[in-house]
Amino acid sequence: MTTLLLAPAGITVAGLVLVPLLLVVRNSFASADAYGGIRGGWTLANYQDLMDPVYLKVFSYSLGMAALNTAVCLVLGYVVSYYLSSRSPQRQMLLLLLIIVPFWTDFLVRTFAWINLLSPGGPVNSLTDAIGFTDGATQWIPSQGASFVGLVYAFLPTAIFPIYAALRSVDHSLGEAARDLGCGWWRVHTRVLLPIARPGMLAAALLTFIPTLGVFVIPVLLGGGRDQLVGNLIVTLYTEFRNQPMGAAASVVLLLLMVASMAVFGLAARRLRRKSA
Amino acid sequence: MKHTLDTVTAWLARGVIAFLYIPIVVVVVLSFNDSEVTYKWAGFSTRWYGELSRNTELLAALRVSAETALISATLATLCGLLAAMGMARLRSRGKAVFSGGLFLPLIVPEIVLGVALLSVFGAMSADLGTQTLVLGHLVVTLPYAALIVLGAYNALDPALEEAATDLGCNAWQAFRRVTLPLLRQPLLAAWLLSFTISFGNIVMSTFTNGVGSTTLPLRVYSMLKGGLTPEINALGTILVLFTLLIILGVGLRQMRRVLLGAGRS
Repeated sequence: MTTLLLAPAGITVAGLVLVPLLLVVRNSFASADAYGGIRGGWTLANYQDLMDPVYLKVFSYSLGMAALNTAVCLVLGYVVSYYLSSRSPQRQMLLLLLIIVPFWTDFLVRTFAWINLLSPGGPVNSLTDAIGFTDGATQWIPSQGASFVGLVYAFLPTAIFPIYAALRSVDHSLGEAARDLGCGWWRVHTRVLLPIARPGMLAAALLTFIPTLGVFVIPVLLGGGRDQLVGNLIVTLYTEFRNQPMGAAASVVLLLLMVASMAVFGLAARRLRRKSA
Repeated sequence: MKHTLDTVTAWLARGVIAFLYIPIVVVVVLSFNDSEVTYKWAGFSTRWYGELSRNTELLAALRVSAETALISATLATLCGLLAAMGMARLRSRGKAVFSGGLFLPLIVPEIVLGVALLSVFGAMSADLGTQTLVLGHLVVTLPYAALIVLGAYNALDPALEEAATDLGCNAWQAFRRVTLPLLRQPLLAAWLLSFTISFGNIVMSTFTNGVGSTTLPLRVYSMLKGGLTPEINALGTILVLFTLLIILGVGLRQMRRVLLGAGRS
């Protein structure tokens, strides 16, 4: 009976997730046939090819972008979460609803919304021209900056939820007590509230950092496709270059980055727990 | 006594929430723009909604997306419900292993999941099309559906089902008459959320769609490479409206449980 109940989900996960992931790892060591398909055999050539400066640049740029995106999302996420958690319960519900709406809005809509805003002659451009910040010729898209704004916009709500989840049960008289005892604003946050928020911050970082690496739509639409993330590299290798083994190798690198960052976050979480124990 | 920095952070937080809305509002406003180019305001008009309703390519893609989302959301919710019931009967270690597998697709980058599925379909020389698309979307939606159903099922009092059995119900009757009605809300929430996730999916679809199974996001993405048109803004406005309806349908309480519970586990 139990087996029967578990079978559908179990078969789905085993057949559509685990086996496929193993196959990707295996394919990353295979050589390509003339059409870029999998020929078999075992070789490290795909990984060696990924060491090309062109690809290394993609990896370092992606890691930098992901780190920056994570940092910005954590700071803004903390500020918003703190604001939310210090409102009255009714206000918290309303504000939470306000953040859920953009979160569930279609990803593509949220991305092309920025094309409206940043296009030449669009609202942002007209505004910066009017205040003399730009001279009428400056284009906001495509650019690395536009790409970055798109990333922050896409991941900010995702970062807010876990931080708010950690902070929402905080008794705000804690902060007041700390203040009464002579803590300044900074110390109330760094000594009292940030440690409480930290498990949520770790979760938010994990939910921002790795998914950013796998994004491919935003750099194409807002960045003009020039500065690629790992996600773009994988899509390009599969669809344009039709080099499946190399695409598999790039995917394995992304998997390894995921495992590495999970290990780092896991260690950090354990240290946190030990400190509080 | 309020610190100045408190005022600063409060305004920053309000600013960030406003920042989340500016792009969405702009899409809605510009969708009513009577102009060929999105950014030059030329008066109010609903003509782009008319153009949208005559765009057969987009309508075909809409159909593919709706069908795929319908099937994969149903499969994901069913699998999730069965898994939740099965897991309640497992010992703690089996439970941990099984839920680890179930939630694995939440951590593995979606693009890698897509590549992985494509490799399997390639190895089996399966034709890419609606079936492969549905399987791909099942992978993406199952963890979310399971998360909601599992939480709700575990919160049920097992004594209720036992009481039904004591009163003479067989296992099926107890499930039909007691468990299922109690789970109606979370099951609906799981289905609606899975439907939205599938409907908006682009990464997985890139790898699992075939000729004739282009989804709406894929079609819009390729249209966007040629430039943004007011027609796409009109479509965006409809999708925003659709989001609001889903959120109303799911209800804030369920939504809060999913979003705030997931971050803590």
